[in-house]
Amino acid sequence: MVRYQRADPEAPRALIVALSPPLLRLFRSQIAIREHAEDLLQETWMRIHRVRHTYRPGEPVLPWVYAIARRVGIDGYRRTRRITSHESTMDVLPERSAQVENRALPEFATLVAALPEAQREVVTMMKVGGLSLEEVARATSCTVGAVKQKAHRAYERLRKLLEAHAAEGWKGGIDELR
Amino acid sequence: MNCGDEPSADALSQIERRIVADLQVVRPVMPAGNIVLFAAIFASLLFIAVYSLGAFAITVMSPLQTSTMLGTTAIGTGLLIYSLIHQMVPGSLHRVSPSLLPIAILMSMMGVIAALFQFQPDADFWPRAWVCLRAGTPIGFLAGVPFWLVLRRGAILSPTVTGTAAGLLSGLLGTSVLEIHCPNLDALHILVSHLGAAILCSIAGFTLGLRAERRSASRPFIRRP
Repeated sequence: MVRYQRADPEAPRALIVALSPPLLRLFRSQIAIREHAEDLLQETWMRIHRVRHTYRPGEPVLPWVYAIARRVGIDGYRRTRRITSHESTMDVLPERSAQVENRALPEFATLVAALPEAQREVVTMMKVGGLSLEEVARATSCTVGAVKQKAHRAYERLRKLLEAHAAEGWKGGIDELR
Repeated sequence: MNCGDEPSADALSQIERRIVADLQVVRPVMPAGNIVLFAAIFASLLFIAVYSLGAFAITVMSPLQTSTMLGTTAIGTGLLIYSLIHQMVPGSLHRVSPSLLPIAILMSMMGVIAALFQFQPDADFWPRAWVCLRAGTPIGFLAGVPFWLVLRRGAILSPTVTGTAAGLLSGLLGTSVLEIHCPNLDALHILVSHLGAAILCSIAGFTLGLRAERRSASRPFIRRP
């Protein structure tokens, strides 16, 4: 990052190659914005480039990048919501996907979609982005205690969801998840 | 976890080309310098305003009232500056939630005012309150301009939260001027017109931040070439 701030042309390449895959996974793990994941990735890098002076040398890079990506994701979500609110609703619901029908292990994005936004964000950053509690706290402008509490509540809720899913007939049960 | 594929090499090279084409040396933000800048702006504007309006309240208030009121305002101002400095740098570790801090500061100031001053019924309450509000709020709005000039170098994450905090900081300047200037010691007057100036400025900051956030969300997606 310091080399990037000093305009070393090799530095952005190294950052883009290293950080784009987890950022794309982060955007794709959010159902509301997954369609625009690649656009959001590009927008994140443009915004990172615009505000690269706000990175303080010596500080961890990941929370800084994720904080900016989170903001881009929020803007993207609001933009998508604004666009879809102008679209007409369908009279007939589409057929349920085979994935839901065959009682397979629910997709991560489907599972976390049931969580409140703040809890979903924490779980996604920790499990998809691989961030620590402190890094998530930094990225979401929260205290570490608040992140711990959100993560705990999210795990509780996910456990209940998986148990309900297993009880409905999923043969593998939740043990397969562990 | 099945969360998606890797980004295409083509997309990554396009991003890289766009960034490299606009690559320039940048100077990182200096939190210590910004703290000094915020404090200097606050102190100099406070001095100018008090010098031009007069410090009549200091002679009327008891030493306990003076020290507690000014001390509480100073602590609130310090905490807001500290929070704003952190908000200017994405990924900073916040010891206090930046969205809760303005509410906590306002609540504690209300408590201090209610505890220190007596409620005295006043037939001319609203005319007097209006005079103080009309003096304190413009000072707050005016102070918002230099604060915004400092903040615009960072603070990109949550314009609503930053706007509220910056508005409250500017408003506290107006409140401080009134605390030093206005000799009316009625608790309700101080709550409504002195602290009211700070509340009005934070509402203005919140509104401006909300507008900035909506504008940011209304921009179309960057189209990949």
